[in-house]
Amino acid sequence: METITAYALTPEQLDVVQMPLGGPKAAGSRIYLEGPAGTGKTTAGVARLYHMLAAGIPADQVLVLTPQRTLAQPYVDALRRPDRPSGGEPTIATVGGLARRMVDLFWPLVAQDAGFGDPDARPSFLTLETAQYHIARVVGPLVDREGYFESVTIDRHRLYGQILDNLNKSAVVGFAATEISDRLKGAWMGEQSQARVYDQAQACATAFRAYCLQHNLLDFSLQMAIFAEHLWQEPLCRDYLTSSYTHLIVDNVEEDTPVAHDILIEWLGTAHSALVILDQGAGYRSFLGADPKGARMLGDLCDVHVTFTQSFVISPTMAALGDTLSRALRPSPAGTHAVAPADPVAEDVEPQPFSVVGTDDASVATLDPTEVLHFASHRFHPQMLDWVAAEVHRLIDQAGVTPGEIVVLAPFLTDALRYSLAYRLEQLDIPVRSHRPSRALRDEPATQTLLTFAALIHPSWGIVPSKYDVAYALMVAITGMDLIRAQLLAEIVYRPHAGEPELTSFHAIRPEIQERITFMYGERYEALRTWIGACSCDAAPLDHVLARLFGEVLSQPGFGFHGDSDAGRIVAMVIESVRKFRWVVQDLALDRALGHEYLAMVKEGVIAAQYLQPWQEEPKDAVLLAPAYTFLLANRPVDVQFWLNVGGQGWWERLYQPLTHPYVLSRRWAPGRLWTDAEEFALRQETMARLVLGLIRRCRHSLYLGLSDLSEQGYEQEGVLLRAFQRVLRRA
Amino acid sequence: MTLPPGFQFSQASLQDYVDCPRRFQLRYLLALQWPAVQAEPVEEHEQRMVLGQAFHRMVQQRLVGLPEEAIARAASNAELLRWWQSFLAYRPITAFCGDQPGTWMRGEYMLAGGVGGHRLVAKYDVLSVAATGQVTILDWKTSTKRTPDDALRERLQTRVYPFLAVQAGAHLNGDRPIDPSHVTLVYWFPEAPGSPARIAYGPEQYAADHRYLTDLIGLIALAEGDGFPMTQDESRCRFCVYRSYCDRGSTAGRLDELIAAWDLGAAPEDIDLDFEQIGEIAF
Repeated sequence: METITAYALTPEQLDVVQMPLGGPKAAGSRIYLEGPAGTGKTTAGVARLYHMLAAGIPADQVLVLTPQRTLAQPYVDALRRPDRPSGGEPTIATVGGLARRMVDLFWPLVAQDAGFGDPDARPSFLTLETAQYHIARVVGPLVDREGYFESVTIDRHRLYGQILDNLNKSAVVGFAATEISDRLKGAWMGEQSQARVYDQAQACATAFRAYCLQHNLLDFSLQMAIFAEHLWQEPLCRDYLTSSYTHLIVDNVEEDTPVAHDILIEWLGTAHSALVILDQGAGYRSFLGADPKGARMLGDLCDVHVTFTQSFVISPTMAALGDTLSRALRPSPAGTHAVAPADPVAEDVEPQPFSVVGTDDASVATLDPTEVLHFASHRFHPQMLDWVAAEVHRLIDQAGVTPGEIVVLAPFLTDALRYSLAYRLEQLDIPVRSHRPSRALRDEPATQTLLTFAALIHPSWGIVPSKYDVAYALMVAITGMDLIRAQLLAEIVYRPHAGEPELTSFHAIRPEIQERITFMYGERYEALRTWIGACSCDAAPLDHVLARLFGEVLSQPGFGFHGDSDAGRIVAMVIESVRKFRWVVQDLALDRALGHEYLAMVKEGVIAAQYLQPWQEEPKDAVLLAPAYTFLLANRPVDVQFWLNVGGQGWWERLYQPLTHPYVLSRRWAPGRLWTDAEEFALRQETMARLVLGLIRRCRHSLYLGLSDLSEQGYEQEGVLLRAFQRVLRRA
Repeated sequence: MTLPPGFQFSQASLQDYVDCPRRFQLRYLLALQWPAVQAEPVEEHEQRMVLGQAFHRMVQQRLVGLPEEAIARAASNAELLRWWQSFLAYRPITAFCGDQPGTWMRGEYMLAGGVGGHRLVAKYDVLSVAATGQVTILDWKTSTKRTPDDALRERLQTRVYPFLAVQAGAHLNGDRPIDPSHVTLVYWFPEAPGSPARIAYGPEQYAADHRYLTDLIGLIALAEGDGFPMTQDESRCRFCVYRSYCDRGSTAGRLDELIAAWDLGAAPEDIDLDFEQIGEIAF
């Protein structure tokens, strides 16, 4: 029991932790725990996990499920503590992760019935990137030749993404993938031309699904569909799961999907114990299919219901700000907005009974919420950023706040905004981290260098890089070579002819020019050129060629990647991207070499356009710049929050998604019911209220508002959130 | 240089330290990604790793109850099919673990325990505990040649797996301590199915392993910058992806020169959970 005391639990938490661990149907062993953010629910969940292990529950029988990896971090951290009892290991997973593993393991059981073209062959699991490639193969010709989506002005990438998203919705909500357009059209009440767009989106989704089945390809939607519709119905697989994992801890269940809830409802019936944790007022992943209302059905299967109401995170004054702001955001009959129907998808955002440790409701009501609110108005956006950077600096330098306890949030974090702010902070020697990287993988200098060399290594592909690209690659690849020398060298030695690139020898250059380039750089160039010339690479996979080029030349002394860990990381990502591409494309009939196809797809922006950075690589004690929802789903409270562009509409608007509709495709929306302006207004209002309340509940001490009359793009702004804060200030 | 919070040791990371402290530092403390070729021909190296993983999956499919014919149908590669046929002909699980009622058995099973104030984890291909308390550890070695017993005994895996079974496996034995003399580690080679390596364990070896692992982990945990020197055996560098980072050569060694004990399948405990990406990038 000593491990539990490490968590300094309240009596209420201890009650939850020590409830019976039971056998099947044992009273009190199925617990439904809810409460607002910061009230100690996950702490209780982690402590109960420890209690289970200390009580002798075999660890390998425990499954911890969260809807997203970041939300599992407290459990991961706890299980890695050295004082943990020896034994087996609990499994920490998402339902999507389980689906993937079960499809991989039980594939021979379902491949035939699920309609795959070659059930005896292994499945290929698609990443986001490779799914984009394959959908481009299917949908691209429809767009280019059949005129699909002519009326839609949207980046091709996002168009594909929304078709995939529709399939994902069908899988996680649990309706047939052939019903997408009927559901979307049934809710649409605008111009009839949109119906055609929905029909085309349906045709694309149907064609892509057929293509995946034919080639044994499984995108996320197909993994989930196979798991839910086939494997979970298959006794061998279901028994394997339910007998392996007899103790369930399900955290942030409100962020999971209807199909996940369906499975959990059945699983709870056989589990020896379960702890289901719901964060009241959350449901931030609704646009990904999260179903907070449906999550409450799991509570009906639990025999103990507990609600935590006391926050351990925020100060009493911050709680008062949350209350006041919530009231200011909610539509009222006396207000300026018409009363709108409640958001049909999300939980009711009405503040739940909520208090702060050490205070009572009466004392909170008397507090002035503006005491924790700091702001300054500016005319121009850059002035606001200057102010934010100065305030961050002051907090760290004079108030003793550590960088890791500060976050700077915006509804959307554009590259320009992230760069502008990161630059200002770095000028002040403030460590910064961001969940959005600076560049897409294809735009990294190391990537561009590799891909230029890939073209030079394979002249038969007929890809002829520009002279500038070759010069740039030489500059990156050869330590110390400046762009002027690199351009001079490329101008002379790079001789494309007959549609093929070719490098000539440094030794053939006139001596005076050699001298200008320098013999040292010339020797390095010659080593590189010789390696390229000697590379018998035509039959070798591109990822293997790039690994050799990196190890044998570019990371050697005298070359640009030598000792460069950042370059190593980027090259590793490129090679991984090529390898995964090869694994899921190698069986297709292509009209060009696979490596050539990869390069073409990079150029088209289909591949290497994403940049996924492993979370664990991030420095911890640094100011975090992030989109607001990303911060929410990391579920980590901080001392100080900065909100940028408070006057902007970004806090209130939702993404432009002409091919899909995350709420109409939810389980809470009856097919055929019209989505009206009133629903749209209610949704935006409730979504923003839920967002800002969620942020405040993860802010211990101070909230800073970045205000500027003009937006980043130079437009006047006076958004809904700004008006709400103005009401808060007037009431104070 | 301190260990990252929550760092877990495994046989693979300890082997890295023993082979080359610098490699351990680069791989686990600095998390340095260095995508050079490990062994040539790289195509064959990759193919062997893929086959190794496929064989592990097939055995796991058998353990969870899939029909043998269905599993065999997915073995499109002739070599893999041959391995599977050897597996069916020799039935190593039954041969070494027995089929007595009351025997607990799992594939791909993880155990973890504390050693020297740190966590040590292992993922077993097959772990079985009979009602008599007899513990059998089965490990599939899919290298092309049967590894000599001496080489196997030198591997950290041979110390870590039986040690952790004793230290962390009591819950599998009705909460009774596992007697080290009841533990057997078996390496089984699909390429040499009739010549498994069977390594008995005992209390003296357990005590020696406890001392050795505690000292080794303590040494690593206390090491500072200079505590991670490069190996003096430069022949190892030919098979290390960091060779260019350390200025220890440019080209990878030949695959057939790799020490046969090096199983070419990825070390299971080093494989991260494969979470779906959808939620991570949607924002």
